[in-house]
Amino acid sequence: MTAVGTQDSKSENSGGHFSELLKVEGKLALRTPIGIGTGIGLPLILLIVFGLIGDVEGGTVGNTGLTIIDLWVPTIMVIGFIGISISALPITIVRYREIGWLRRISTTPVPTSRLLAAQLVINLIFALATILIVIFGSELIFGAPLTVGIPYFVISIILSIAEIFSLGLVVAALVPSQTAVQGITGGLFFLLLFLSGLWVQPAQVGGVLATIMYYSPAGAAVQALLYSVFNSPPPYTAIVTMIAYTVIFAFIAIRCFRWE
Amino acid sequence: MGPIGSLQLSESIKSPKAATEPAIRVQKLVKKYGDFVAVNDISFSIREGEIFGVIGPNGAGKTTAVECISGLRVPDSGSVSIYGLSPRKDRNKIRKFVGVQLQQSAMPPRLKLGEAVELFASFYSDPLNPNDLLETLGIKDIKNSMFKNLSGGQKQRLSIALALIGNPKIAILDELTTGLDPEARRETWALIEGVRDRGVTVILVTHFMDEAERLCDRLALINHGKLVVLDTPEAIAALAGGNRVRLVPSQPVDDKTLYAIPGVNGVERKERYITVTGTGDLAMSVINSLAKIGVKVSDIEARGGNLDDAFVKLTKEEPSNDSGGVIKP
Repeated sequence: MTAVGTQDSKSENSGGHFSELLKVEGKLALRTPIGIGTGIGLPLILLIVFGLIGDVEGGTVGNTGLTIIDLWVPTIMVIGFIGISISALPITIVRYREIGWLRRISTTPVPTSRLLAAQLVINLIFALATILIVIFGSELIFGAPLTVGIPYFVISIILSIAEIFSLGLVVAALVPSQTAVQGITGGLFFLLLFLSGLWVQPAQVGGVLATIMYYSPAGAAVQALLYSVFNSPPPYTAIVTMIAYTVIFAFIAIRCFRWE
Repeated sequence: MGPIGSLQLSESIKSPKAATEPAIRVQKLVKKYGDFVAVNDISFSIREGEIFGVIGPNGAGKTTAVECISGLRVPDSGSVSIYGLSPRKDRNKIRKFVGVQLQQSAMPPRLKLGEAVELFASFYSDPLNPNDLLETLGIKDIKNSMFKNLSGGQKQRLSIALALIGNPKIAILDELTTGLDPEARRETWALIEGVRDRGVTVILVTHFMDEAERLCDRLALINHGKLVVLDTPEAIAALAGGNRVRLVPSQPVDDKTLYAIPGVNGVERKERYITVTGTGDLAMSVINSLAKIGVKVSDIEARGGNLDDAFVKLTKEEPSNDSGGVIKP
């Protein structure tokens, strides 16, 4: 695991500890039901539910020209990101801080930021799993006629994840205790589910509410992804909205983060 | 009692002229939390290879002082030097050879014991063998248990394992054996002596006097943030005022009478018991003198002073220094 007998060099062990951190954080994530449950389980259930509704009801929604499963694909994907970054991520980080695990790591030669980096990487892997499940599930099982435009899709995915993960880090930075984080993430989770169009799509409601949904963190991501999965350029308003949220959230998270 | 020699002086430490140079030097350390002065102008040096005990009542500032040494807290003034390095400025260097056990620190509930130790081993360039260490600590057979399922004693041993896995030059152990049963405490003591015998300098924060007496080469007694005394356990025990005799008199006796007895220099009262401290053949002297004035005594218990007595005396006397050995409840 380590270079034995070599002279003191500064980066003697830089690779070993990060892969070990990833391994441990990965195992912990798999042992903790909440991450898998809200990050992968919930999208999977929603996919099946909306797929079946679409099969039963048939036809297109309003004047969109899209079937139910087509229209809800991006929403389900974004809900996966929300589950991971609003529930799992902040709850884990706040717990690590409250039980003194971040402090404990800070007494070792490894910077505590590496632990957070490992947490982010593990959650990104979950997010990628969600993307694959939703895309292939909707296309292969429920026959959504997706024509994913790779460049559009990659840009939309990167910005969606950046924006929603940054929001999760804001929660992790600002919420002081595990009890508080449960309540706050619970409320925020359902608000974002609504804004992502889980119960009703902005195209169905119209008016001011539709505008609010479009410019919300969840709605902008859904909007950009909806165009991308049908090989169209995402509207620049959605792109700009997501960039703006990412910058603001990241700034707040970095400024306010407390290690103890 | 002196430095045990530098068997395994790490090459990363610059000055192996350590025979005279202390491993750790703390000078005029002050740490406040708001108006509360947790550590008030403390200075001491720790020799390489010794077990240095920090004792004191709860809230005395022990943990704060030690956390300033490990770099977890930034002192308001004063300085700490570890082999010439500053815990703040040279944090990255110091963490490589200082192992820390925190007083209260939990781990992710579903982290397995063996995983925690292997994770920490990966943090260091020359770690101990995790299996050997777990074997020594008697927790090898539960390495697949999750942290949330460990007993208090098992958690404590894991915490010790994490402090030692990096093969540190200096180990800082806070409340080492709290939560351990008597047998596990003795095993842990033997382990720490083994660590010291390998040349590791140990800082031990404890409120168990038997532990301090057994393990420590020197002790710093801290009370109300101040260093009260720094000496060997034997020398501090001697401050308890020599011998002690506890008895129950057949009728009330006032302090004046007791102080008039040859050899007596302290009187304590608790319920119906009177404890006199002093020198010489105290029990005989007290019994004879009281017999002369017609007072019989019963329930006699005589013993030499120990660290416990010294601790009680030194920490209770501290606020008012004029009590002259009389300890009022």
